[in-house]
Amino acid sequence: MALSETDRRRLRQAFEGIVGPGAVLTDPDERLVYESDGLTIFRATADLIVFPRSTEEVAACVRLANTENLPFVARGAGTGLAGGCLPTAGGVVIALTRMTRILEIDLENQLAVVEPGLVNLHLSQALAPRGCYYAPDPSSQLACTIGGNVANNSGGPHTLKYGVTTNHVVGLEVVLPDGEVVWLGGRLREPLGYDLVGVFVGSEGTFGIVTKVVVRIVRRPQAVKTILAVFDMLDHASRTVAAITARGLTPAALEMIDQITIQAVEDAFGAGYPRDAAAALLIELDGLAAGLDDEAERVIAACRDNGAREVRVARDDAERELLWKGRKAAFGAYGRVSPAYFVMDGVIPRTRLPEVLRRVDAIVAAHGLRVGNVFHAGDGNLHPNILYDPRRPGEEARVLAAGAEIMRVCVEAGGTITGEHGIGIEKQDFMPWIFSDDDLRVMAAVKAAFNPTGRCNPGKIFPTAKSCVPGELAYRPHPIEERGLAQRL
Amino acid sequence: MSAAFADTLADLVGSAYCFAGADRGPFVVEGRTPCAVVFPGTIEETSRVVRAAAAAGVPIIPWGGGTQMALGAPPRDGALVVVTRRLARLVEHEPGDLTATVEAGVTMDALQAALGARGQWVSLDPPFPARATVGGVLATNASGPRRHLYGTARDVAIGIRVVGADGALIRGGGKVVKNVAGYDLVKLYIGSLGTLGLIVEVTLKLRPRPEADRACWALFPGLAPAAAAVAAVLGSDLLPHSVELLDEEATAACAAATDVQGVPGAAGLLLGFDGLPTTVAWQLGEAARLLGAAGAIRVVPLDPALGPRLLAFAREIHAAVPEPLAVAKVALVPTRVGPYAADCAAAARAAGLRLLTAAHAGAGVATLVLTPGDGVPPGTATTAKTLAGLRERARALGGQLVVEWAPLAVKEEVAVWDEPGAAIRLMAGIKAQLDPQGIMNPGRFVGGL
Repeated sequence: MALSETDRRRLRQAFEGIVGPGAVLTDPDERLVYESDGLTIFRATADLIVFPRSTEEVAACVRLANTENLPFVARGAGTGLAGGCLPTAGGVVIALTRMTRILEIDLENQLAVVEPGLVNLHLSQALAPRGCYYAPDPSSQLACTIGGNVANNSGGPHTLKYGVTTNHVVGLEVVLPDGEVVWLGGRLREPLGYDLVGVFVGSEGTFGIVTKVVVRIVRRPQAVKTILAVFDMLDHASRTVAAITARGLTPAALEMIDQITIQAVEDAFGAGYPRDAAAALLIELDGLAAGLDDEAERVIAACRDNGAREVRVARDDAERELLWKGRKAAFGAYGRVSPAYFVMDGVIPRTRLPEVLRRVDAIVAAHGLRVGNVFHAGDGNLHPNILYDPRRPGEEARVLAAGAEIMRVCVEAGGTITGEHGIGIEKQDFMPWIFSDDDLRVMAAVKAAFNPTGRCNPGKIFPTAKSCVPGELAYRPHPIEERGLAQRL
Repeated sequence: MSAAFADTLADLVGSAYCFAGADRGPFVVEGRTPCAVVFPGTIEETSRVVRAAAAAGVPIIPWGGGTQMALGAPPRDGALVVVTRRLARLVEHEPGDLTATVEAGVTMDALQAALGARGQWVSLDPPFPARATVGGVLATNASGPRRHLYGTARDVAIGIRVVGADGALIRGGGKVVKNVAGYDLVKLYIGSLGTLGLIVEVTLKLRPRPEADRACWALFPGLAPAAAAVAAVLGSDLLPHSVELLDEEATAACAAATDVQGVPGAAGLLLGFDGLPTTVAWQLGEAARLLGAAGAIRVVPLDPALGPRLLAFAREIHAAVPEPLAVAKVALVPTRVGPYAADCAAAARAAGLRLLTAAHAGAGVATLVLTPGDGVPPGTATTAKTLAGLRERARALGGQLVVEWAPLAVKEEVAVWDEPGAAIRLMAGIKAQLDPQGIMNPGRFVGGL
């Protein structure tokens, strides 16, 4: 969709009439920043980026986009890892980053009402003085927004015990794709009618734009213990994961980090992880102080019984934060060992972890690449990060090919193709691996109820391959094909 | 029912599993008689039955354990009841993965027994577990006291298979606990009362069975101090799995039914704790201290056999009274529950009736059971008016009221479902997309869907 300069100027004025002067970007250089999310392998340029400040402005922007027959897509912090907020059909990016307020905190009813552009960590920081927090904690929480979390049904390390975003959202004010503003759910814990909140969360921006979120807030646990278990073999670490679960323990978090990642992290931050370890498990227990020592003993026993060479318990908050820094900043640390990396996201049943990790290793090696694993082992949510150099010819294509094979392994092991990052663009062609045509048809039908024109975030989630279902599933070249990196056979 | 359709059904499920005569008796709901009742033996058979019904234009009424068949508007006459009783397999239980896949006709008790044999459970405790089926629990979004800590069906179901309105088998979710592939259809089917599809199989995430589980029972001079004690509990470090607030009538009935001591005019608070024995013991002690400080007349730690009986009583308060006038479920924000219950009890008394209320106080969800007072049992008009008044009071506090059970004559005067607001447009749109013919449990749900 190529806009003429006249049209672009006219639209700029029209949108400025809604969001104010200076809140519309149309310059090519300005638009560049918004052409990808955290998965920089995919790029798409918007025609305009607009920055509304209120529900009314968002609704007016959507209505104008409809009038002008422009596709539109919402964007939070752009930390997504599946290309979900890319304007692949051009049009308008509606950035929510000026809507960052906490509108209400209702401690007694354990609710807060927030705007979608609020940074995830800022919410928990605001609640901290009251002894509460917002539980879903994606590793990008320093930057990612609540609205983006809603779109992706984001997870994080502590979702093992506390659940993902959908378990913490009670109501949504939404601008529907036709511009109507509607509340889904509210403050009550019993939905009336269909669970529209439940189906909206994780819809990756294809059902409308969230303008207010009613979240559930929880009290901080009475006590916390953070444990680092160090292993000389990756296999020992992965077997320990199932062993911990088998002993009836429910850690708050159970993360695995491999050697490449440990070394990168130590080079970058010095978090105190042993550089020569084959793998480490970062295990967090929380709850009542009365039971924590007992639980910790059991976890430590499970680690030792499965070959841990060292088990360390953080002695204070500072040590605990350092251990977590090592985990949460891992992605950033990869820059030390590789010019680029491709973040993957797959899920397998916990019990298949040792075998799948071995297969991931083999696949990556067969493509002449390296992989760093840092992931939520406790719920089988893998993040193999394929390290590569985009300047080397053919490397990107091999990365994507290895990625596809890894996804195949996850599906064959009884798992799924995404645990947290979403389908977006990256995995849309893998959807038929896990869903039948009938399943996809029902999903397309639900989407049609929300987004009949398809203008809201088009080209996401559904496969681009030819299908007998018209409209949504019609053939479109994949961005990888458009860039000449791959061919459809 | 046409002879051709009757023949088709008998062919599909076998004549032994197709009731078309007087044996339909137990499946008459509110005077509406089905054209036939079928008991498919497999998921594939179920799919074929729905396909045949769709072709014949016959509406479908899904039937699990039959514990909530009067929920919603009455069904159509001449519909096809499809009973899931024979879909009773535990398909898969992988203890190492803490997941299990089960067919929809398995009862909650049977499921928990099978999981319990491997030291695990699914964290759902809906009413009437001996009869309620997994499919029915999901379709009605039934829940019990433990929702306070563990949430409801949406927090434990990770995969689902459904027979759609055209007979197609649809899968939502998967078999793993983290999954954001595509739209979350599991959430859509939960609580949809079979109006979007007939649930045939569910995958659940499980938990290890707690080593200890104990409850304590506290009596307060009235609802107000009991509600204040709830706030104190929620603001403390205690992690109860259940926080059940019972009004004066419900407390008296509970005491009578379970042989715990009651005190005339007292309101009751039932707290349940599970986990390691050390944490349960600590919490019982801490609860006693805290509730005493909040003005409890008495705090009694219940022995392991008695705790479950009181929790079951609270959970099944609607069965506490032999002939209720109506049963309503109210949702409010938690801080409003105490004042609402007190207000409604007074309103009922003023109308010459009695109200028993048991609330999941932390979730803000209460079950209200309206019963006759001491005088002459009231007519339809009084019951309807009282119910309408309870709904108005709930709405005034930002809540909503659903009539879970009432005689047909009362349901004709008081809307069963509360107002869904502007979102009904989306719900109707989804229904039109997934069931264009309108054969899946039609006309019974919110907004007439």
